[in-house]
Amino acid sequence: MARTRTALIAGAGATALVLSACGGGSGSGTAAGGSGNGATKVTSIKLVAAEYSKDHTAAFWKQFADKYKAKTGITLDVQVVSWDSIDQQSSTMIQNNNPPDVLNLNVYASYAKDKLLYSADEVLSPAVKSDLLDAFVKSGTYQNKMYGMPDLSSARALFYNKDLFTKAGIAAPPKTWDEFEADAKKIQALPGGNIGYAMPLGPEESQGEFSIWTFNNGGDWKTDGKWAINSAKNVETLAFMKKLAVEDKVTQNNPGKTNRAQAFDLFKSGKAGMVVGFSPLAGALDTDKKVNYGVAPMPTKEAGGTPQTFGVTDYLMSFKKPGNQDAIKAFYDLYYQTDQVNTFIKDEGFLPVTKSGLAVFASDPKLKVYLDTLPNVHLTPTDDPTWDKVKLAVQQNLGAGVGANGDPKAVLDSLQKTAESGG
Amino acid sequence: MADPLQGAVAEPGSTPAAATAPAASPVGSASSDGSSRGRRRRTLHGGTSIWVALLWLGPALLLIFGVVVFPAVQLVRAAFSKYSITGLRLGDAGTTNFKNVLNHSSLPTVLANTVIWVVVVVALTVLISLAVAQFLAKDFFGRKVVRWAIIVPWAASLVITAKLFTMIYDYYYGTLNLILTTLHITSGPIDFLGDDRWTMASMILVGIFVSVPFTAYVFVAGLNAIPDDVYEAAKIDGARPWQIYWRITLPLLRPAMVVASVLNIIYVFNSFPIVYTLNDRNPGFLHDTTITFMYKLAFKSAEKDVGMSAAAGIFNVLLILIVVVVYLRTLKWQEQED
Repeated sequence: MARTRTALIAGAGATALVLSACGGGSGSGTAAGGSGNGATKVTSIKLVAAEYSKDHTAAFWKQFADKYKAKTGITLDVQVVSWDSIDQQSSTMIQNNNPPDVLNLNVYASYAKDKLLYSADEVLSPAVKSDLLDAFVKSGTYQNKMYGMPDLSSARALFYNKDLFTKAGIAAPPKTWDEFEADAKKIQALPGGNIGYAMPLGPEESQGEFSIWTFNNGGDWKTDGKWAINSAKNVETLAFMKKLAVEDKVTQNNPGKTNRAQAFDLFKSGKAGMVVGFSPLAGALDTDKKVNYGVAPMPTKEAGGTPQTFGVTDYLMSFKKPGNQDAIKAFYDLYYQTDQVNTFIKDEGFLPVTKSGLAVFASDPKLKVYLDTLPNVHLTPTDDPTWDKVKLAVQQNLGAGVGANGDPKAVLDSLQKTAESGG
Repeated sequence: MADPLQGAVAEPGSTPAAATAPAASPVGSASSDGSSRGRRRRTLHGGTSIWVALLWLGPALLLIFGVVVFPAVQLVRAAFSKYSITGLRLGDAGTTNFKNVLNHSSLPTVLANTVIWVVVVVALTVLISLAVAQFLAKDFFGRKVVRWAIIVPWAASLVITAKLFTMIYDYYYGTLNLILTTLHITSGPIDFLGDDRWTMASMILVGIFVSVPFTAYVFVAGLNAIPDDVYEAAKIDGARPWQIYWRITLPLLRPAMVVASVLNIIYVFNSFPIVYTLNDRNPGFLHDTTITFMYKLAFKSAEKDVGMSAAAGIFNVLLILIVVVVYLRTLKWQEQED
């Protein structure tokens, strides 16, 4: 017993040593104590940024940090983290009570709910805020205050392989689900083992694939502020997707277990006739120059419907820490300057989030199909903290609905239950 | 297990004592309990020597506390805490996290997967490694090249190996399916990673592939340690090759076998990259082991609960501890039977 106690005491001592060593080494200026307005101003802030591409992300933030330092005299520590591990790393930082000053992620509402974030009123200049596209201000607003500042956006559209379309004798991309189904069948029937439609309902981003389909059937995740995951429209959508996979067999093998990256690979290899893609896929296809492709609005269920565009935006959020408010304000001021935000978005191949950005990108004819729809883009309910959990539940369960023995209604019913019980 | 540890702890402290008392027995033979205990008492009374001892032990102790004790304490603390989805600690949770893990609807599946995964991978690894080791222990032309070739899967990063196998197993472009369909062994490609009937088998194959090198080398060392005269004696007595293997080689390999199987049980049980990478396209927990289950609870599943994951982590540690202790006990018991 005595030995154990000695060990524990020694352990505590060593732990303290380790901890103080870590604290000393972080170089963060936030070590200054105190709270509220009287706190010492920070001399450095930390940004944890998601890695959109190996080539551009780190390079952009490096030049940004240099400009930021020159302008404000404050050092910006940038840590670029891959999407694979960013959830894990951000969670660990919060657990250790050591959040970054600015975090770049695809969710924010849970952080806002935990009262960890500055609202836009505190850190965003009015001029900057009024330049943001309304759809993104709305999606970044939790309980009447904006916490999630959009860093970039993307909109999904239907990519189709023109060569396969010609071979199958299809003149134009499909406008309705019936046309879509018929076209997919024609492509699947071509000799050479082609795939009509590459459908990724695996855990990577099944909520995205389902969103674009159901939005074009008048379905949604929430209606009038209430969860509507098992609405008739949604069930109909998932049943149609299952029909494509199981009865028509016009998708790749096992769509419920295919991730987006794998579906894109099938399209990039010229094997798949259609896939739902976004501008980075177009960038990759243009680099490869292997597939002759076109981009069209998503087909709607009924003839004559207005195609709905599914959009995604990621967020920058800033954590309340003593003395960092002005530094963060300066960060946003610089980021949303036209030459910064739009350079970043252009390099990464995404779409603008500001009104001034729309004008900058308007000159690019290839982006027209997305830009026209961007102001009315249809997003997932990222403003609801429950969505952060529902999204994960969707990713882990939706794919089962399009399996051979899948029951679309049962899957959506159980997701609805998850959502209603708060995730 | 405790004896060598005690000996090791006593050694650095004993150095000054040995210097002042040249008559003391040399360090090598001091591992008997009585003498090491007596000597420790002497050094403790020596005043300064405990500080000298701490000085010597300091870096190692610091490392142990920083890398083992501190995280373990944090794990226990986390397991009894309630966390927000963001990772923010909201307060004490009591035993709720443990109950949530035990009541999780996928737990039976995950446990069954873990048993299959560990038992099949370790058993087949040991069997295959025995054969490979026999082969490697023989002297033949090019043995060096073959030995190096077998090290490769061991030296390569597990994530890279696993990624490589996702390509080999791929439904559309995978080399394995190309071979199978070209040779008309199967009528069409097999979805090795997506078809529920194949996923576990595909993962097990990779598990064996990366475990065999280490195990084979343990056996090679074991085979080399068996003196030649035993074999000579057996041959003179007219034993047939199979008898020699069964009656002499295998029993004398027993220590190597124990080491290899215990280490493999621990490695395979804790193996994360293979199961996670090969299974990443499959939603839910249908093919997860307790290790990937724990990870998904914290970061990927709808639970996204660090506290629950920490509780699962504690169950994992206990589980592997029990398995190893039971295994070693059984061996000891068998030994006594013999």
